[in-house]
Amino acid sequence: MLRLVTGLCSLGIIAGVIGLAGCGSDSESATVGVSTDRGTLLYDPPFRIASLTAADFGAELGAQAAGASLLAVAGQPACGVDFYHIEYNTVGGAGEKTTASGALLVPTGAGTGCSGPRPIVLYAHGTQTDKTANLADITNTSNSEGALIAAVFAAHGFIVVAPNYAGYDTSTLPYHPFLNGDQQSKDMIDGLTAARSALPHTMSSATSDNGKLFITGYSQGGYVAMATHKALQAAGVAVTASAPMSGPYALEAFGDAIFYGSVDIGSTVFGSMVASSYQHSYGNLYTTPTQVFEATYAANVAADILPNATPVGTLFSTGKLPQTALFNSTTPVTGNAQLDAALAVPANPVFALGFGPSNLITNDYRLSYVLDAVNNPDGAVPTPRPDLGLAPAAAPANTLRQDLKTNDLRNWAPHSPMLLCGGDQDPTVFYSVNTGTMQAFWSSLPAGLVTVLDVNAAPNPASPFAPLQVGFQATLASLLASGGQEAVVENYHTTVAPFCTVAARGFFSQF
Amino acid sequence: MIARFAKIAFGTVAATLAVCAHADEDVLSNNFRVGAYYITYDTQADDLRGAYVPPGARIKLKDVITPYFAYVRRLTPHFSAELALGVPPLTKTYGKGPAKLGSVPYNDQEIVTARWLAPTLLLNYTFFDESVRLRPYIGAGINYTRFYSRKSTPAGDAAAGGPTSISLTTSVGPAATIGLSYRITRSFFLYGSLSASQVDTNLTANTAGVLRKTHVSFGPRAAVLAVGYSF
Repeated sequence: MLRLVTGLCSLGIIAGVIGLAGCGSDSESATVGVSTDRGTLLYDPPFRIASLTAADFGAELGAQAAGASLLAVAGQPACGVDFYHIEYNTVGGAGEKTTASGALLVPTGAGTGCSGPRPIVLYAHGTQTDKTANLADITNTSNSEGALIAAVFAAHGFIVVAPNYAGYDTSTLPYHPFLNGDQQSKDMIDGLTAARSALPHTMSSATSDNGKLFITGYSQGGYVAMATHKALQAAGVAVTASAPMSGPYALEAFGDAIFYGSVDIGSTVFGSMVASSYQHSYGNLYTTPTQVFEATYAANVAADILPNATPVGTLFSTGKLPQTALFNSTTPVTGNAQLDAALAVPANPVFALGFGPSNLITNDYRLSYVLDAVNNPDGAVPTPRPDLGLAPAAAPANTLRQDLKTNDLRNWAPHSPMLLCGGDQDPTVFYSVNTGTMQAFWSSLPAGLVTVLDVNAAPNPASPFAPLQVGFQATLASLLASGGQEAVVENYHTTVAPFCTVAARGFFSQF
Repeated sequence: MIARFAKIAFGTVAATLAVCAHADEDVLSNNFRVGAYYITYDTQADDLRGAYVPPGARIKLKDVITPYFAYVRRLTPHFSAELALGVPPLTKTYGKGPAKLGSVPYNDQEIVTARWLAPTLLLNYTFFDESVRLRPYIGAGINYTRFYSRKSTPAGDAAAGGPTSISLTTSVGPAATIGLSYRITRSFFLYGSLSASQVDTNLTANTAGVLRKTHVSFGPRAAVLAVGYSF
């Protein structure tokens, strides 16, 4: 009977007499996951956005000025790269179930070390204001960080897993748990789990996981990389080595420095994202947003203005968010001369950019924060306090300081090798407050466990990182010559990134 | 518009059948035809739309030959109704546009295969008296096309980014034919015809939830050579 039906189907004589559903079979797309367990894939196998041979990738990068500069630091691709978009289940800042997406970049090709068992680099990206950002989308010319990690790691034989983070791209979370160490490390670990389960089913299955796990990330991602190393270590999962780069690790100290007046470049973006994150995660920042933010902007921050599909430049130009003025340029007057001086607009012109008449955070809130910092001082800011163990405040009363302390990473020490990389004049994520504080905090660890690289330091010819220091400083000099000090300040943080990332690759390659 | 056209076409055929129900008993009213379809496509497709599709990525079809079958019912000395069928051909769809998507070959790559079930109902008018051996005819009617056994090839999966399911909406559209019949004996005939029909479909490719879509007008043109037997 089955044979008869098949025969009739092939003759096509029975149209209109029986349905055609049984005639032939259709090809299937990926399996759609039904589980909401953390780390499970939404689609398996995942979607490959692009596949580039080493030659094509090199040619595409070389065709643009920025890409050519990247190649000069990273070297010509030795491997092709397949760019997969993974989607997986994870949790939000309050532990709620949600989804996130990310990039799985797989080295390919016949070159040595381009296929077979390869190490995984788990990469955490820097602060991103574009809610639609997707690191796997190499077809998007604004995806410079995706191109960076592909060129530095994947094109040189590392499998790269790089979550876009919950709250971005196809994630169902309506906000982003910015600098929430617990959530962000879970997101990273869930992305890693999902990528590992996807890899054997991809079109690049000739490349497999060799069991070595490296963790790195830049800026916000430097923090997330360190938090992920900490979380995996606590869970008993072996981390081969890590390389957090230019991250705000000592969060409470960094927050105190900013509220005292050392306002960093990008502070209004970071401030609104931190507020959105911690209010969703802990619900303790404010009862009404005007308790923290000026009325002009309070509703926007409370409505999770960042990340946003609208370019951040448009948010600035349309008055949705101040571009640089975190605090009011008419600073609080308390009658305490020492405190008033500490709260005054700083003489440093970079820090002074953070003050203006149309500011984000109210004077009242700034004052209450600083008074708590005075009464419950951090061990690193405003001055390092060895007597306090360089640690966060024991019992901060201000809820933002409590949240920053919750997420501060001065509460662990790595058991596997770590490279801390940054640039000591970074005006966006202060080097001394973060990298310097962690270096001092871990000064009693065994020699060689934590390596610190300042790409702006005088090169030591004996150091394998010396060429990167020379390259970074030459780039900085070129920036100064072409755009003056303003260009240096504006671009310093992003200029450090490729040099530290290549340093991380070199560091990982020794294991 | 198409539904209305179909209604009119079927209505006309039904009415003619009813009028001619008592045709002359000596006339051979039933005719079966067997032959070959040579189908070419005048494909007009929009650019593929969807995520990660570069501008200018389209599709095209390759010509096919497939066996032809038809049943024709004589209605009057000049009118007949034809139900034309063919063994559903395995139609091969090729990429058209960029030579490569990234480093994956695209242009001229066989990316999708599908079978068509495409019966066509025609009302034909045949010229000259039935005693004439060589008679030209023209016809108009309706084509119904349903696609099945739709498969993305390995090259298609590579270009699309992974295992891909293909959906093609069913098409109903007008059809027309022009041909010649040649009577060999009282019962056997030779036929040659050219036919055209309008087959429009919406193609959707689903790769891990990423959808790419396009509207395709296949514009099939069929040349038929067949022998017929009347009884």
